[in-house]
Amino acid sequence: MLTINKLKASIGDSEILKGLDLTIRPGEVHAIMGPNGSGKSTLASVLAGREDYAVTGGKADFLGLDLLEMDATARARSGLFLAFQYPVEIPGVSNINFMRAALNGKRAHEGLEPIAGKAFLELVKEKASLVELDGRLRNRSVNEGFSGGEKKRNEIFQMAMLEPKLAVLDETDSGLDIDALRIVANGVNSMRSSERSFLVITHYQRLLDYIIPDFVHVLVDGCIVRTGGKELALELEERGYDWIKETVTS
Amino acid sequence: MSAGAKTTPALGPQTIRQHEASQKKGLDHVAHLRDILSFENENSNVIGTLLEELAVPHRRTERWKYSPVGGFWKEHKPVACVTIADSACEAQPVPGLDAYRLVFVNGTFDPSASDLPIAAGVVCMPLSEAVRSGLVQREISSVERSDWFAALNGQFAGEGMYLAVEKAVELDRPVLIHQRQQGAGVPTFLRHVIELGAHAQAQVVNWSSASSDASGSVNTLTEVHVGEQAVFTLDKVQDESGEVHHLAFEAVDQAANSTFKIHTMTIQGAWVRNDLQICLSGQGCDAYLNGIFLPTGKEFVDNHTTVDHREAHCTSSESYKGILYGQSTGVFNGKVFVRPDAQQTNAYQQNANILGSRQATMNAKPELEIYADDVKCSHGCTIGQFDDEALFYARSRGIGEDEAKAMLVHAFIGDVIDGIAIPEVAMEVRHRLSEKHDWDRWDDANLL
Repeated sequence: MLTINKLKASIGDSEILKGLDLTIRPGEVHAIMGPNGSGKSTLASVLAGREDYAVTGGKADFLGLDLLEMDATARARSGLFLAFQYPVEIPGVSNINFMRAALNGKRAHEGLEPIAGKAFLELVKEKASLVELDGRLRNRSVNEGFSGGEKKRNEIFQMAMLEPKLAVLDETDSGLDIDALRIVANGVNSMRSSERSFLVITHYQRLLDYIIPDFVHVLVDGCIVRTGGKELALELEERGYDWIKETVTS
Repeated sequence: MSAGAKTTPALGPQTIRQHEASQKKGLDHVAHLRDILSFENENSNVIGTLLEELAVPHRRTERWKYSPVGGFWKEHKPVACVTIADSACEAQPVPGLDAYRLVFVNGTFDPSASDLPIAAGVVCMPLSEAVRSGLVQREISSVERSDWFAALNGQFAGEGMYLAVEKAVELDRPVLIHQRQQGAGVPTFLRHVIELGAHAQAQVVNWSSASSDASGSVNTLTEVHVGEQAVFTLDKVQDESGEVHHLAFEAVDQAANSTFKIHTMTIQGAWVRNDLQICLSGQGCDAYLNGIFLPTGKEFVDNHTTVDHREAHCTSSESYKGILYGQSTGVFNGKVFVRPDAQQTNAYQQNANILGSRQATMNAKPELEIYADDVKCSHGCTIGQFDDEALFYARSRGIGEDEAKAMLVHAFIGDVIDGIAIPEVAMEVRHRLSEKHDWDRWDDANLL
């Protein structure tokens, strides 16, 4: 699905990712944990194609495509989805029209006709129910005036609508109360399949109680320094990140 | 609103030289126009004096600082084409709009392309005819007494629309004025006179178009009187190819409890200036002034507005939005006077601009002069760029960059277009903008 080799990326003069390796196979759920400033969100942004970051080395293969050569639109249309840590408000653009443009962009890429109005509305209804997003939020401007939890639920709704092959969730648990966390996690779990992979970026182990990962990676200073199963997350929760940093430096 | 433009304040020698040079250019232009235009105002002597006494605008004139007038002094030619049939252009530019119609080509009324309303309590005819039959007398308006170009209109505008709607009469269909500029170097002067009696209602669409080889100048002055409790809307759409210099004055006088709404939609035009002067002369008036402008290339668009709150309990609401591409230049100047008697005034003004390119320029100036103490006045003015975060967010969902930009533009100007009372006009404005800017992928009308 995704193979990253020695990925290096910087913003301005500072190098953030310093040779990162990661392989994700179809159907797998990977979690990336790490202390603040280790490069977790940078990885998410670089994968999604944010131009603020300069890729200075390495490769990323996504479904046989050279991911780093594609622009953000092409990546999304090819099946990559990023759930934002801070979803953006777009006043004046209704959520539903936004999704229709997104879906039709993907369909055009796949050589399909734009979706008919009725079929689209049915799809919206079905997918919105996954994350309990009510009609009021669907018709409002994108994320405008949404609460923190509503914004994150809207991200998962968009993911469900676009049915990506690989979804990157960037700190989707931040700012969520326990009920919202459960709704978001249920939405993600309902989409798990043998063909779809997830990369869950999180600071805390809590989310991983609900979205059970196959692999947990620890990102420190721009490199993955340790990989384990879901029990690694529990260990990190208990012992913090310092012991890993120490073992890395020694 | 006083005749302050007449006097030249104490200025340096350079400014005085500029002033003298400009004065000469202006008066030479008047002489040139006299040679090629047949009409002269019956008050020619008075206006002639005004043209000599008023200051010809130049770049050191405060109200004209950002509006270069040099293009007006170019050589003009006598008018050739005067019918829409000769211009290879549709008489009715708005598909599906059921409206009365007055077509003017190069300033001349084209009766064969027009469809005048015939209804009780409504008089609508070319201005020249209305003057001939004594229905209206040409008077010198206050705007002509204070602005040189308006005085120029007074001198040379012999044609236009005369529309009078009697007390309590509601015009059943909108009146569309289509003014067409056809060919090179044409000097066009139009004067529209609109009078609504008490409780009357009318809608006018003023559509201006031009051929791709059109140049020369258009100078239009629209005088409007809105009677007590009357409701008048004016939708101006400016979609002119070529190199026309277009200057439009709207002088509106509102009686008590009347409502006036104007939309100024500048789709294209090499050089456009709209100068609105709205006078709230009675209590309880509502005035709405909205506009959008999306210049590209080297286009120039200027919106000058003055709202004069003379009486109490009036509301004015103003929203102008611009997106400037290429090396285009925009100007917004919004003046709001609140006079001492205008207590309980509610005045709102917004001017928001997006610079769509690094070479584009926007000059914005809100001017509020408030002499009453019990008022609510607010204004906001912004000049920014496309929201990069929103663009990336849209792209990360698989929306193309151009489409994402078009989407943000629609979101930005959509509320102004939606405010147009006539749906066919709003739709055609969207359509023309989509064509000019290649927005076919994001067409709200086709959405849910």
